[in-house]
Amino acid sequence: MLWHMTDDIAVRTEDLTKFYGPRRGIEGLDLEVRAGEVMGFLGPNGAGKTTTIRLLLDFLRPTRGHATVLGLDPRRDKAALHRNIGYLPGELAFPGREKAADLLRFFADSRGGVAWQTVTDLAERLELDLSRPIHTLSKGNKQKVGLVQAFMHSPALLILDEPTSGLDPLMQQEFLALVREARANGQTVFMSSHVLAEVQQTADRVAIVRDGRLAAVERVESLGRRAVRTVEIHFDGPVEAAEFAVLPGVSDVTVSGPVLRCTVDGRLDPLIKAAARHEVVDLLSTEPDLEETFLSFYYHSEGAGDVPAGA
Amino acid sequence: MSPLVRKTWRDDRRAIIGWALGIAAFTIIYTSFYAGFQGAAQLKDDALPEGMKDFLSIQDMTSGAGYLQATVYSLVGPLLVVMAAVILTVRTIPRPEEDGGIELLMVNPLSRRAFAAQRLTATFVTVTALAAIPGLLVLTIAPGVGIDVPAANIISASAGLVALAWCFLGIAFGIGAATGRRGIALGVTGALAVGTYILRGVSGIVDGGAWLRWLSPFHYFIGTDPLHTGWHPAHLLALAAAGAVGAVAGVVVFDRRDVGV
Repeated sequence: MLWHMTDDIAVRTEDLTKFYGPRRGIEGLDLEVRAGEVMGFLGPNGAGKTTTIRLLLDFLRPTRGHATVLGLDPRRDKAALHRNIGYLPGELAFPGREKAADLLRFFADSRGGVAWQTVTDLAERLELDLSRPIHTLSKGNKQKVGLVQAFMHSPALLILDEPTSGLDPLMQQEFLALVREARANGQTVFMSSHVLAEVQQTADRVAIVRDGRLAAVERVESLGRRAVRTVEIHFDGPVEAAEFAVLPGVSDVTVSGPVLRCTVDGRLDPLIKAAARHEVVDLLSTEPDLEETFLSFYYHSEGAGDVPAGA
Repeated sequence: MSPLVRKTWRDDRRAIIGWALGIAAFTIIYTSFYAGFQGAAQLKDDALPEGMKDFLSIQDMTSGAGYLQATVYSLVGPLLVVMAAVILTVRTIPRPEEDGGIELLMVNPLSRRAFAAQRLTATFVTVTALAAIPGLLVLTIAPGVGIDVPAANIISASAGLVALAWCFLGIAFGIGAATGRRGIALGVTGALAVGTYILRGVSGIVDGGAWLRWLSPFHYFIGTDPLHTGWHPAHLLALAAAGAVGAVAGVVVFDRRDVGV
């Protein structure tokens, strides 16, 4: 690898701050991504994830603070840095109207020659037809083109903005396999998401941003214990909210006739035992969107006090 | 040739072919109709008021030089070439920046300046080739249809057309690279082109307004009457210099700003 690592940190930001006029993108971000790890970058839409990523890539210039990526300065060393970065934009737009193969050949050439076999292997794994013009591809297939160009040159650092958006579940698994292989290969992966589940499966650590600030950095194992889910139970007759609200870990209980909705933090067992005293018609348990509950959990547990966006 | 330059040409392919065909068709039609137009030209010459002819920088429509001046080199020719230059130039940075495609162009391992310079280079070559089309066609067609203008004079007027295109290319690139906004680059450069064209015309018909023509790129291109008088390198250099200032300013500002905000 060409890059000059001064330590085992792939990305380091110090007080990284970006304002768009008066509007805050990200503020005072101190973050370290270790070389060789997969770090998830979580937060609701508008939290500052894309702003941070675009600062690391030198598309944006910080208002304050700075970032060091692979031991290099994003602005001064942009050319060297981008040779060793694979980037998947969050909002994919492809320049030109050519075939997928021609666009990928351009990426291969501009990175000093990538073996074409690598490209076709990736395309095959993702079931991507390279002979189609890009603008005729579906959202999911466009996302695959974006993934192929990000992974094709085996970069030291992969920066992926919402990588699984548009992919069907099977392809999401294939993508997660690519990420695991990249880690096994010694590459560092920094990927943003607003869905906890997809990050949980691969990441070593997650950084959580909210309202432009870093809320927490956690090992993924410690997140599992805090898994919050929403549960919806349909009974054959009306039930009392009070009966369930007192259960440990259960909150936000609402009852409308025979339907109970609540969120459960931790074990489901107490709720199930209580529900079993009634006739249960249907039971639905979903991991909630991060945006709705997971982050507000963090937010409130930090004692910040105000109402989370979207609540 | 760098992958980015080749990619720029490939993405602009349709536009380049369209403009080339349009400019070529216009030049061929006007130039080769000289013989048939001579009678009509006399009528037009008589019908047009002197002030209008001054405005359009037409001395006479009956001589070969006058005819070429009135058709290819005074209004429609420069208009087409300048339009092509400006429209192709806003595709270098502002257009991909507005539609989002610039991110995947900029993951190229190139510095910001090198990126801007390569986009500029690709379009510079394209626009130079397009702007050279009228001159090459006139040179080829003129002798056969009885237009008796020395080749050197045709070449010098045609070089002026190329320099004029460079001037507006540079201005459009500067504005586009600095702002990233297609509408601003098109609007400001277009208004500048129309405004300075009118300014040159007005400077010839308003008393005491002669000095105004020095503010118009069109004066440097055609004000010296190159079809009659030949080379005026200082004027052409002035056009190229104006374009170069715009282009360099564009690269410098692009290197310093946020992209795709």
